[in-house]
Parts: sequence; C-alpha cells; structure tokens
Amino acid sequence: MATNFTDDIGPMAYPLKMVSQEVVEHMLGWNIPEEHQDLVHEHWRNFPAVSKYWHYGLAFIYTLLMLASMTGNGIVIWIFSTSKSLRSPSNMFVINLAIFDFMMMFEMPLLVLNSFHQRLLGYQLGCDIYAVLGSLSGIGGAITNAVIAFDRYKTISSPLDGRLNRTQAALLILFTWVWATPFSFLPAFRVWGKYVPEGFLTTCSFDFLTEDEDTRVFVMCIFVWSYVIPMCCICYFYSKLFSAVRLHERMLKEQAKKMNVKSLAANKDDAGKSVEIRIAKVAFTIFFLFICAWTPYAFVAMTGAFGDRSILTPVATMIPAVCAKVVSCLDPWVYAINHPRYRAELQKRVPWMGVREADPDNTSNVSGATAQTQNPAEA
Amino acid sequence: MLDFLSLVFVVAVKVFKKTTPNGKVTVYLGKRDFIDHVDYCDPVDGVVVVDTEYLKGRKVYSQLVTTYRFGREEDEVMGVKFSKELVIGQDQVVPMVNSKMELTPVQEKLLKKLGPNAFPFTFTFPEMSPSSVTLQPSDEDQGKPMGVDYCVRTYVADNEDDKGHKRSSVTLAIKKLQHAPASRGRRLPSSLVSKGFTFSNGKISLEVTLDKEIYYHGEKVAANIIVSNNSRKSVRNIRCMVVQHVEITMINSQFSRHVASLESREGCPVTPGASLSKTFYLVPLARSNKDIRGVALDGHLKEDDVNLASSTLVSEGKCPADAIGIVVSYSVRVKLNCGTLGGELVTDVPFKLLHPAEGSVERQRFNAMKKMQSIERHRYENSLYANEEEDNIVFEDFARLRMNEPE
Repeated sequence: MATNFTDDIGPMAYPLKMVSQEVVEHMLGWNIPEEHQDLVHEHWRNFPAVSKYWHYGLAFIYTLLMLASMTGNGIVIWIFSTSKSLRSPSNMFVINLAIFDFMMMFEMPLLVLNSFHQRLLGYQLGCDIYAVLGSLSGIGGAITNAVIAFDRYKTISSPLDGRLNRTQAALLILFTWVWATPFSFLPAFRVWGKYVPEGFLTTCSFDFLTEDEDTRVFVMCIFVWSYVIPMCCICYFYSKLFSAVRLHERMLKEQAKKMNVKSLAANKDDAGKSVEIRIAKVAFTIFFLFICAWTPYAFVAMTGAFGDRSILTPVATMIPAVCAKVVSCLDPWVYAINHPRYRAELQKRVPWMGVREADPDNTSNVSGATAQTQNPAEA
Repeated sequence: MLDFLSLVFVVAVKVFKKTTPNGKVTVYLGKRDFIDHVDYCDPVDGVVVVDTEYLKGRKVYSQLVTTYRFGREEDEVMGVKFSKELVIGQDQVVPMVNSKMELTPVQEKLLKKLGPNAFPFTFTFPEMSPSSVTLQPSDEDQGKPMGVDYCVRTYVADNEDDKGHKRSSVTLAIKKLQHAPASRGRRLPSSLVSKGFTFSNGKISLEVTLDKEIYYHGEKVAANIIVSNNSRKSVRNIRCMVVQHVEITMINSQFSRHVASLESREGCPVTPGASLSKTFYLVPLARSNKDIRGVALDGHLKEDDVNLASSTLVSEGKCPADAIGIVVSYSVRVKLNCGTLGGELVTDVPFKLLHPAEGSVERQRFNAMKKMQSIERHRYENSLYANEEEDNIVFEDFARLRMNEPE
C-alpha cells in the first residue's frame, strides 16, 4: 500500500511539496493514510492522481453553485414561509423541495474544504456525513418532485374540491422524508451498502463498485427507489394532468360553440398559444430537469455495478454530482418564479432584484378579468 | 303621501350609469337584471354618451362578455387559468354603424334626454347562454368567487382588435336570470319507494309528495310523507332535507349541498305493522347557509339581494343535459333510518325554486315588499340627483364592485 510514497516525508507534507515543485506522478488515493486506505476502492487506484487544478476548479464551481443555491432556495424558504398569501397546502411542497435543495447545499462547503486538502477530511465519518446529506436531499428532492406533480394533477383536474388540505399535505411531506430515509441511513450505519469516496476521492456516495451480490442488489434497489419510481410518478401525473386540461378546454370550446362565440381565447394576444402548450412546456421542463439531474448518476451507478467500469474515470464520475447540484439550484426558479403571487411578494420585498410581476404571459390572460373589476375609483 | 307616490313613480324609470376613469365616456343601462323567459330573453339595451372631441377619430366599442370561473384563483399553477372569458356580443357604438336600429323605450327616452352625443347599443343573449350564478366562497378563499357572470364592457379604440386603455374603458356588471313561468302547473311531484330486507320478510314503503312543483324563493316547501311499515324492522327516525344539485358543465363535475334539513323522531319508532303520515316544512334560504362553501346563489351584485340560485330551466324540446354553465336543480330528499342492520331508505323528489314571473300577482307582492324596503334608500338617492328629477329619470351609479380588488 505504501508503495506510492517515494520518499520518507509524511503524507501531510505532500500538498506543500506539490505547490512548490512538480512531483512524481501519483496514483489516486496516494495521500490517504494507511489506516484509512480501505476506504478507497481498487478501481480508483488505476487512475493517476487528479491534478490540483482540477480540485481547485471543482471547488470554484461548487462555490458558485453554493451561492446560487443559497440565494435561490433561501429566498424561497424565506418568502414562502413568512408571507400569508403564500401559505397554501400546495406551497408547502415547494418549501419542502427548497429545504431538500438547501440541504444539498451544505455538501458544498465540505467539498470545497476537501478539494483544498485534495483528500477527504474526517475519513469515514466525513464521508458518511457528506453522503447522507447528498442522499437524503437527492432522494427527498426527487420524490418531492413527484408529490408536486400529484398535487398539481389533483388541483387542476378537479378545481372544485381536488385541492389537498393541510393535513394531507403535511402527511405527504412526512412521506417524502420517510421515503428518503432508508437509502440514506442504511449505508451510513453499514446495515446495507456503504458510503465510499468516489471520483476525485473528495466526494462520497454509496458504493457501486464492490463486486458482490449485496452491492449489486443495493444499487438495483436504489436505482428503482430513487430514480425509476419518482420518474414514473412525474410522467404519470403530468400526462394525466395534461389530458384533464385538454378535456376542460374541449368542453369549454363546445359550450362556446353553442353560444356562437368564435374564439374562446377572448383576449386576442392570448390566441397564439393554447393552455395545452403552456402546460406541456412547464411539465416538460420539470421532467427534463429531473432527467438532467439524476440520469448521469443513475448511469454511473449502473455502469459501476453491471457494466464496463473502465469508462468511469474520476472526471467522468464527478459530472453527475455537479449535474445534481446544478439542478438543485435551478429548482427554486422553476417552481417559484412561475408563481405569480411569489413574484409579487418578491417584488414587494426585494425591489432591487427587478422582478417584474407583470410578465406578458400573465397579463395577457388576466387582462380581461382584471378590466372587469377595475373601478373608476379615482375618476 | 304625495311625496311617497312620486317616489314610487321615479323608481320605475331608474337608470344605471357608469363613467370611465378619465370621465370621457359614460354608459347608461335601463336595468341590471335581464330575464331569460326561456323562449326569449330581454335584450341588453343601453346608451353611450361620449365627448366626440375627445375621440379624435377613434371609435367606441361595446362588448357583452360572460366570464366562467371554475376554480380558485390562488390554485392556478403552471399557467392554467381557472377562468374563461367569452365575448358573446361585440358592436361598434360610435360612430353608429346601423342608424336604423330599433330602439327600446328606455333608449328612446335616454337619447332624448342626453342629446346628440348619446349613441344606443343593443345586445341579445345567445340562445344557450347560461344564467348568472355565484358559488358561495368560504371565508379563507381569496379572489373572485366561482361562477358565471356577465358584464357590458365599453372601450375606446382605433379598431376592433385593439384592446383599449384602462382609463377609457368601463365595465358594468349585469345579471341574466330566469323567472318562473306565469302558471305554476298543477302537477304535484311525488315519489314512492319501498325497501325489503335480506333476512326478514316484508317491506317498508315511503311515499313523499310535495304541495307544488315550483316554489318561489322564500316560500315554505311542504313535503307530505307517508310511511307504511309491513316489515319486522322499525323506523327509528326520519330526515328530510332540501338538496341543491350543482353541475359545473365546463369541468364536467357536480356536487350537492343540503340547503335546509330537518330530523324528526316524532311518531317514531314506526313499529312493524304501523304507519305514519306527516308533513315536513322546510324553507331553503341563502341566509341560513352563509357558512357553507359552494352553495350556488343567483348572481348578485350587491350584498342585499342574495338568494339561492334559481333552478335552471330549459326550453321545451331541449334536454336539461344540454344546458351549459352552472346548472342548478333542487330536490327534497327523505331518509328513513331503519336501524343499524336495516340501513336507510332514501328517496328524492325534484322541484323547482325560482322567482315569480314578471307581471304575476306574486311578483307584484314580491316587488312591493322590496320597494318598501328600499324607500329610504331612494329618498337619499333622490336628494343626490335632484336636478335630474324633472324628466323622471333617476341615475344610479353602478355599484363599485369589489373595491378591495388590487388595481
């Protein structure tokens, strides 16, 4: 194991030495003390150690993501939980998602520290903390996406009484946490699967490389549990929602025809795009984001367990982690910024952000309705 | 007394008006409630007065618009709007396109009074257009209530496709209502049902008969109930209620609400072999259902004229299922409780709830009641519009609806 050490100075001196002069090419995992060497899977030792510039680059990316996530999710949590007009059961899910995403953000300072040391701080414990944060927020976020899809389907398909009440919403939120728990804590307590460093060996995730039945079954299960099931739910609910909207539109058109109304889109500026297209766009965005966030991870894990693992270079395995984090920064924008009331509230509280509540998409549709309630109050 | 008489006379030609925020265009309407007599419907007749200097070659358009709202505004996500606006009539009012149009008496009177800058417009409701209905919101609901409403919108624009500006447009909310036919009919609705039991012989039968087919708002509904028990079970108690059925055709969903109910143990238990004849009186009223979300009310513009939604009538030869908008119907439901094992025996008897027809005796009584109530108000209004009294036209400003709406 110690063959990587070419001279007698201790591993702690290495980073210093690397800064001062070029050193001999090391293999990945060289700077981990012998007593913790079992953390590193054999697979990673086949790759040369990643240059410090990669580490610093990754740290830089993570710092940016951390700032983005902190502002985006932070503002969402702040505004949704403090303004009265936004305290509806449906919005509780948005807050929940922001909490999961915010939790993912806590991984980032850990990674930045790790990157500057070019190894994992805290070894097994550090690894577990890092991976639990990632896994809990990742699985929780995925299932919250599915729950939001369900809630939207319920509200839109039966606008009269479909809306979930507070108790149901609270139960569903509890459900998302329960859903995220087993695959986060079982590996942490070594009950089933385990957390190991991966990629640059500065991040941690569940073990998908060990070649035994146990690991393979674990990878298969987590794949279905945290990727396939939420994705199927998202697809199912949004497609149901879409057909409900189409049904409503068709019925309205029929009624309009009975009254000899030519165009149902009473406001002309709205005539161009139908509700169906608007819905499809939003639904597709959410689905696409989910795919972007978790498909790379799923691919890496499945390849590690069942496929040709030689393609899993350290750099290649870092991409999925970054993807997942990028999406956690985008979530608040996708879910909240489309929310007219949130935008109004944001405009009120953070006017310097320059959020224009009156976006064209909104006013075109409402204009008719608002004109009706306009009073010549100050006439 | 003389004063009182003149007041009543003045009230008879009350006219409603509303002016655009910039004060340049004023719309006058003879009334706000337009009655659908099933075979024909009152036209929406009005007059627009505009400062022609102000127009500078632009035109004035009027629209008759109906708005469906079938979901709460706060639940709108993903760009879905739970409301739809249907323009069911649109006309260019100034300059006049059809100078030979037939004028209604109110329009003639107004044109004579308001001078050369007044232009008439008339809309007819499409044959199938639904009645104005408001679904009662619950306390925590924000935004506009669900339902069907109508308005006349007038705006200044360069051409028909132009939307016009807020400052030069004005919207008057109106209602389309249905009244009962002149005669109430002689048929007494009734229903006869019976129930057998799995493990014992004999049946309980229930007959419910109402004393009328059409009731007017505020009237007592009398349900005559005859229970004859030929089984071995006994009837523990009787529940009688008025059920309002609401069908929202735009989203293909329906629900019902109990708008009056009564539970009785008088004469109970109805033991095997016994029978019971009893009359229940129920008065379905809007004000006794103020806390129930979703109860359908006749579209209302002011706080004071709230009543339960009238039954939807369809013209002969048309199927009730073809009606659109919000379709309302009523029934008396009687439930006999035959004990834990016996279950329930339920029957529904449909009836109609409407306002008396215009011109009928009941209507006159009804109107007189209302008039007495509002005399005080009119006295006040008269003092406000004293200068216009000479022509016996009272101009009432349109109720400033929903002042709390954000601009």
